[in-house]
Amino acid sequence: MNARIVFEDVSKFYGEILGVNRVNLTIPPGITSLVGPNGSGKTTLMNLMTGLVKPTRGRIQVLDYKTDDPENLFRILGYSTQFDAFPKGLTGFQFVYSYLRLAGRDSESAEQLAWRAIERVNLTDAAKRNIAGYSKGMRQRIRLAQALSHDPKVLVLDEPLNGLDPLARSEMIALFRSTAAQGAYVIISSHVLHEVDVISDQVILLSNGYVVAEGQIQTVRGEIQEHPTQILIRCSRPRELAAKMFEYEHTIEVSIHKDERGLLLKTRDADRFYLTLNEIALSGIDIESIAPADDDVLSVYEYLIGNEEAVR
Amino acid sequence: MKRIWWAQIKAVIRLEMKKTFFAKRGLWIYLVAALPVLLFIAYAITISSLQHQSESVAGRGEKSLTYQDLRAVKTGMKDQEVIAILGRPPVRFHWSENRPPETEKGTSIEVQHEDYHYSDGQNDLFVGLADGKVVSINIHGFNSVGQDSIMFAGVFQFFFLRLAIFFGCLGIFMNLFRGEILDRSLHFYFLAPIRREVLMAGKFLAGLLATCTIFVTSELLQTIAFLWHFPPSVRDLYLYHNHGLEHAAIYLGVTLLACVGYGAFFLVAGMLFRNPILPAAAILIWEGINPFLPGVLKQFSVIYYLKSLCPVDIPSPPGTPAVLALLVSNSDPVAAPIAVLGILVVALVALYVSSVQVRRMEINYTTE
Repeated sequence: MNARIVFEDVSKFYGEILGVNRVNLTIPPGITSLVGPNGSGKTTLMNLMTGLVKPTRGRIQVLDYKTDDPENLFRILGYSTQFDAFPKGLTGFQFVYSYLRLAGRDSESAEQLAWRAIERVNLTDAAKRNIAGYSKGMRQRIRLAQALSHDPKVLVLDEPLNGLDPLARSEMIALFRSTAAQGAYVIISSHVLHEVDVISDQVILLSNGYVVAEGQIQTVRGEIQEHPTQILIRCSRPRELAAKMFEYEHTIEVSIHKDERGLLLKTRDADRFYLTLNEIALSGIDIESIAPADDDVLSVYEYLIGNEEAVR
Repeated sequence: MKRIWWAQIKAVIRLEMKKTFFAKRGLWIYLVAALPVLLFIAYAITISSLQHQSESVAGRGEKSLTYQDLRAVKTGMKDQEVIAILGRPPVRFHWSENRPPETEKGTSIEVQHEDYHYSDGQNDLFVGLADGKVVSINIHGFNSVGQDSIMFAGVFQFFFLRLAIFFGCLGIFMNLFRGEILDRSLHFYFLAPIRREVLMAGKFLAGLLATCTIFVTSELLQTIAFLWHFPPSVRDLYLYHNHGLEHAAIYLGVTLLACVGYGAFFLVAGMLFRNPILPAAAILIWEGINPFLPGVLKQFSVIYYLKSLCPVDIPSPPGTPAVLALLVSNSDPVAAPIAVLGILVVALVALYVSSVQVRRMEINYTTE
């Protein structure tokens, strides 16, 4: 069995407009976030992955299936899209139930699975109401229920937290984590960077239809050589430590924290800094904590794409 | 066929039924299907009322007349001869006419006209007399199934088939995919683990179920309304001894085949074109010019086969221009089995094109 989602030299053009270009990706299990500004190609990538649009060039494989085989692909894949339209006249329950009947499930099993999915997104009370009367957050949740209803191995979620209140957001994040913990592939697109940072095992950064970076966020950060790594050190004698740090060639800049109980170090080689830690400790400076200050998605996004459209 | 495909087709039909039967934008289809029924009901009411008058005229006559008595009157007879055969007319009009002189120097001539109205209770005889001589005879029967069945055939071929079913199928089948794209809800189906061809088959069958239900019901009601005003004896004679039942069954069959043929045409048109007006106009013109097309091209049409299956030929009235006569009569009919097979082949070709097209379809609402 093929245990990856693979894009090989995939391009998609809408007429003369570029969707994505020359995408080569391998997505492992866990939570993968697609990050990029509006129009960067996140939704196109998801639509390509689910066969809703066909690549102009290249090949996509989702585990064992090709994307032009919906009959088998959607048995292992659930997709919660950003399209906010539903078949007319359906209640929330009917929406999920009909989807399962379309999948060929019998009435009893479809009903059981539909209720289970609706419970997972906490929409049981509103399930018998017409979707036309749902709020944006409820519509988002019923789409999630549909995508989750058949326990897919691959879950593709386009901006799944849009329209949700803080409580619902944390519930959904917990749901994504538990799904990923069971070995599923959870692919999420988002432009809310602090949420991406919290939930992602790996990120794919997109800009203008190109993949700018991919992998675990720390690895991606480490590969950005042109921006020095920032490290926050909490210690008892920050001025003394700052003076000592300038003895090392990799140190670029040091600034003392205003509470005089720490400093921010900029280094061009974080690995060498960590190797020198023992030396510093032996010099008698009491170090309370050391934490990277810019190996989060937000910083990586700013370094690689810019911060115009990032939502913190 | 895999069992799961059939389950999926049933699921698609269940979802589509509500949309095809109860959509607000489809209400006009019911109206179009009801129009010929209303026409035949109005006709039946009118004929019943005239028949009532005719019976009243017959009751007021001096003699109890038969159809043969009415037929005995000939042009050129004198008024006294007519009265000798039929008795004094129960309804009589008298009027005079001043005819202009035939030459410049001549004088005008006054002509005395009389109109006699007799009836045997089922047929009216109108006799026109000028200066005491019969100049016109007009017998009108209320129970002429033959004449009425030609009228029925005319309404069926020229309104029901070419317009009602044509536009009804356009409204339902073109919306099966196009309507979903406009509503931005097609992705719901495309995200399900269902073969696109199975989805297409489910949608086609749902459309077929809707159009067949609407138009077969209309056709049945038309037949009932058409036969309503005839006395039971005439009705039985027509139905059981004069191919009436056979004709009714054929009309129903032709209705079903029309839904299959036009349905398949409009299904594929709905996938290929964004604007339904263009393909609808093109197909309407293509079907309209069918009698003038060469034999090979005629075969790629639905109306060509349907016309061949219709049980009653519509005679062209005398003096009809040859071009119009070609439209009315079926100059080049095909045998019934070939006609049925022809429609099914045309429908299958259209469905094959649809199945290729549905596999290529992408969800890209913004460009629609």
